[in-house]
Amino acid sequence: MEYVGENLWAGNLGHAAVLLSFCASLLAFISYVFGTFKKGDEANSWRKLGRMAFWAHGIGVISIVMVLFYIIYNHLYEYHYAWSHASRALPVKYIISAFWEGQEGSFLLWTFWHFVIGVVLMYSTRYWESPVMGVVSLAQIALSSMLLGVYILGYKVGSSPFILLREAMQAPIFANPNYLDFITDGNGLNPLLQNPWMVIHPPVLFLGFASVIVPFAFAIAGLVKGEYRNWLTPALPWSLFAVMILGTGIMMGAAWAYESLNFGGYWAWDPVENASLVPWITLIGAVHVMHAFKKTGNSLPTTFVLVIVSFILILYATFLTRSGILGESSVHSFTDLGMSGQLLVFLFAFIFLGVGLLIYRWKALPKSDKDENTYSREFWLFIGTLILSLSAFQVLASTSIPVINKILGTNLAPPADPIAHYNRWQLPMAVLIMAFTTLGQYLKYKKSDSKVFYKALILPTVVAGVLTIASMIPLKIYAWPYVMLLFASWFSLTGNFDVLRKQFKKLSSAGAAVAHIGFALMMVGVLISSANKQVVSLNNSGLSYGENFNAQQNAENVLLWKNDPTVMNDYRVTYLGDSIAEPNHYYKVFYERLDAQGNPSYSFTLYPNAQINPKMGLIANPDTKHYLWHDLYTHVTQVIDKEAYKDRPKWQDAKTITLKGKGDTLMLAENLVIFEGMSMQLSEEMAQKVKGAEVAVAAKLRVKNVQGEHQLEPVYAIQNGAEFRYDASNEKAGLKISLVKIDPKAETIEFSIAEATPGPKEYIIMKAIKFPFINVLWLGTIILVLGFSMAIMDRYREAKRLEARENVTA
Amino acid sequence: MKKTHLLLILLIAVAIGAIISTVGDSSSYENFQIAAANPEREYHVVGTLARVEEMEYNPEQDANLFKFYLQDNAGDVKQVVFYGTKPQDFERSEQVVIVGQMEGEQFTAQKILTKCPSKYTEDEIKIEEFEEHTATGKGPATS
Repeated sequence: MEYVGENLWAGNLGHAAVLLSFCASLLAFISYVFGTFKKGDEANSWRKLGRMAFWAHGIGVISIVMVLFYIIYNHLYEYHYAWSHASRALPVKYIISAFWEGQEGSFLLWTFWHFVIGVVLMYSTRYWESPVMGVVSLAQIALSSMLLGVYILGYKVGSSPFILLREAMQAPIFANPNYLDFITDGNGLNPLLQNPWMVIHPPVLFLGFASVIVPFAFAIAGLVKGEYRNWLTPALPWSLFAVMILGTGIMMGAAWAYESLNFGGYWAWDPVENASLVPWITLIGAVHVMHAFKKTGNSLPTTFVLVIVSFILILYATFLTRSGILGESSVHSFTDLGMSGQLLVFLFAFIFLGVGLLIYRWKALPKSDKDENTYSREFWLFIGTLILSLSAFQVLASTSIPVINKILGTNLAPPADPIAHYNRWQLPMAVLIMAFTTLGQYLKYKKSDSKVFYKALILPTVVAGVLTIASMIPLKIYAWPYVMLLFASWFSLTGNFDVLRKQFKKLSSAGAAVAHIGFALMMVGVLISSANKQVVSLNNSGLSYGENFNAQQNAENVLLWKNDPTVMNDYRVTYLGDSIAEPNHYYKVFYERLDAQGNPSYSFTLYPNAQINPKMGLIANPDTKHYLWHDLYTHVTQVIDKEAYKDRPKWQDAKTITLKGKGDTLMLAENLVIFEGMSMQLSEEMAQKVKGAEVAVAAKLRVKNVQGEHQLEPVYAIQNGAEFRYDASNEKAGLKISLVKIDPKAETIEFSIAEATPGPKEYIIMKAIKFPFINVLWLGTIILVLGFSMAIMDRYREAKRLEARENVTA
Repeated sequence: MKKTHLLLILLIAVAIGAIISTVGDSSSYENFQIAAANPEREYHVVGTLARVEEMEYNPEQDANLFKFYLQDNAGDVKQVVFYGTKPQDFERSEQVVIVGQMEGEQFTAQKILTKCPSKYTEDEIKIEEFEEHTATGKGPATS
C-alpha cells in the first residue's frame, strides 16, 4: 500500500545515521584497542583510524540529533516520537524539552555529550589517548545500540526514535492511505515538563553523567597499561568537572521540583533524585582521595575503587530509572521500553571491565604499608571519604528496595516516612563531613604538629560556638540534631573562611575552601528551610473537625471562597477569581501581610496555576513570592469543577404570584420585583413581537438586585382572536416571567416567575508554605560551583605544567 | 593491624547497620487483614476504589477530610480516612496505593498514590475522531 503525505526521507536518513553512529563506534573501539596494545608506528596508525572512526561516529550522532529535531519541529506526526512527545500548540522552547522527554532522546543527549567529551579527550590526552578513547568508544557502542531498534535473534535491540506511527502501533486507521490527513496533532508534552528548568536541567545533568566516564576511562587506562599513578594528574580536573556539572544538574532538578511540582520542596528523596545523587557523592569521595594520593602516595586503591564505582553507579542509575523497575515507587521514572535486558548487559559489561581489571591488578597496585599519621590531612581525607561512601551506600540501599524485591522475591515497600528515614542517617554524616572540612584544612599532608593543630582549632570552635548560640534563637532551632548540624555548618564556614583568608594572596589555590564554604551554606539553607518550613495555610476557620486532633494537625489546606478574605497566620488572603490561558488555569490569590495590630503592611498577588488535564487530573503548579530571606510558596490542591455545573437546568422551578395594584412588591432570594402598573406602551422589542395584534398590554416590572436595576415587561396580547402571552426574561436579573392572568381594571396581575439557578459559589483549596532561608541553599550551590571551577583551573594548570616539564626532560 | 583496616571494618559494620535500618524502616505491600493485625505498623495497601460505597468529601465543611472505601487485592473493603484534599479525578483512578495504618475499622492514610489512565505513557489513538472526519466526507479511499 502507498501511503500519502508521509515524509519518509527524514526517517531513512535518521536510520542511516543511527547505523553509522553504531558501526563507527564499533570501529573506533577496535582501532583504539589495537592502538593501546600495539607498539610504535602500528599503534599510531591504529590511533589515527580510531580518530577517524570516532569522528564518523560523531557525524552519525549529530545527524540523528538534527533529523530528530527536524521531525519534531516540523510536526511530522507520521513519526511515533514526534506524535507521542510533541503537539502543535507547544511553544518552540518546549520543543527542545520534547526532544529529550522520551528515552531515546535522552540516550541521544547522553551519546552526544560523550562525543563532545571524546573530541576534547582525543586532542588533549596524548599518551593516554588510545586506552581512554577505547573506553569512551565502548560506552558509545552501548549507547548507540540503545537507538538501533533492530531485532537480533528475536531480541529487540534498542528503540529507534525514527519508527513511524503506523509501525509503532496497530490501529484501523492505518488501513487508510490518507491516514495522515486525520492525524493532525501530536499527543503533547507532559505538562509537568513544560517548564523552563526542563529545558536546561536535562542537558546539564546528562553532561554530568557523561563526564563521569572520563575519570573511569583514565583509571581503566592506568590498570590496562599497568601505570597506576600518572593517570591521576590529567584525570583530576575532569573529575572535578564531573562533580561540578553533575551537582549543578542535580540542583537544577531540585529547582525544577521546587518551582513546578507541588510536593512542597526541592528534595523528596525520590529514587530518581537519589539515583544521580549517589554517584555524585562517591565521586566527591574519589576527588578527595585523589588529592591525598597525589601528595602522599596513600589511598590509591580507594581512588581506583571510587572512580570505578562512580561510573558503575551512573549506569546503575540509568538502569533504575529506565528499566521500569521503580514502578510506583517513583513519581517520575521513564516507562519500560523493553530494554531492561539490554541495560543490564550494558551495566554488567562495565562492572566486568572495571571490577575485573581492578581485581586482576589489585596485587600490583602500589600501597603504602606505613600506618597513616593521625595528625595528617590524608588520614582525615580518607576518613571523610569513608563517611561519604557510607552516606552514598545508605541512600543506595534504600533506593534499591524495588531491585531487592525483584532479586529476593520480597515485597518490601519504600519507607513510609522517607524524610525521617534518610535524615536519621544522613544528618549525622553531614555533621561529621562538615567538621572534617575544617579539620582537614588545618592539617598538613604527611605530618602536622599536634600543638599547632589544636591551637589553630580554637578560633573556629569558639567562633562557631558563639555563632551557634547566637543564631539558635532567632532561627528557632532547638532540636539537638539540628543544633549539631548548625554548629557543624558554622564550624565549617569559619574554618574555611579562615583558610581562605590565609590563602587570599594565592587565591587560585583556594578552590577547596570556597567549595567547602558553598557546601556548608547549602547545608544551612537545607537545615533552616526544612526545619523551619512553615505551613501558612493552616485551617483556622474555627470549624470543628470532630474526628480527632490529628486531623487538625494535618489540616494544611485551606478553602478560600471567592472574594472572601481569610486570615492565615500573618497574612490575609483573598481568592479573586480565575482566568484561563489554555492549557493553564490561573488562580488569582491576593496576599496582605498583617502587622502586629492586624493592619495590612504590604500586599502582593500570586497566580498559582493548574492544568485540568482530562487524562492526568489536576496538575498544580505553584507560584512563589521570593523574598531575600524567605519564599512564600502557594499551590492549589483542589478547584471547583465548573464543568459539573454546566448540565444543571438554567431556571429554577417557577412559582405563581399575584401582585395587586401599582407599587406592589415581591421579595425573591436575589431580587426585589416592583409592579409599576399596566401599560399599552410597549418597548420596541415587544412591539415588534406583537405586530398586528388587536390588543397588547404589558405589565411593567422593575427589578432591583445587586447587579442594579432592570426592566421586564411580559406582554398579554390578542392576535387574530387568540390569546398570546409573551414571556420576558433578563439574564442579568436572572428572572423569567410570563403572565397567567391580568385584570386591567383592578390592575392585578397573576404571573409565573422563575429565578435563574445560581452559579457555583467559587472557591479554591490551596496550600501555602513559607520556606525561610531558601536563598542560602541556592547561594551555597553557586559558591560550590565557583569553588569547583577554581579548583578545576588550578588542577588544569598544574597538569599543563607537569606535561611541559616532562616534555623538557624527554 | 593498620588503623585504616580497623576503620574499614568499622565502616562495614555501620553499613550493615544501614541495611538493617533500611529493612526496619521499610514498609511493605500488604492487604487490610495484615494491616489490621499490626495496627502499630505502617503499610502500603494496593487496591481499587470501591465504587459501591459513597466517598465523602465536603470541602465547604472541611477541606482536609476525605473518606472513601478501598477494596484491597484480597477483596476486603475498608473505609480509608485521609486528612487532606481529595485528589482531583480520584474517581477515575484505576489503581490506588494508600500508605498508612489501620485504626480500628478504618485505615488512616498518610499518603495516597493514584494511577490514572495516563495520556503520556499509553499509546492510544482516538479512533472516534477519525470516524467523525470520515463521515464528513474528508475522504477515505479504498485500499
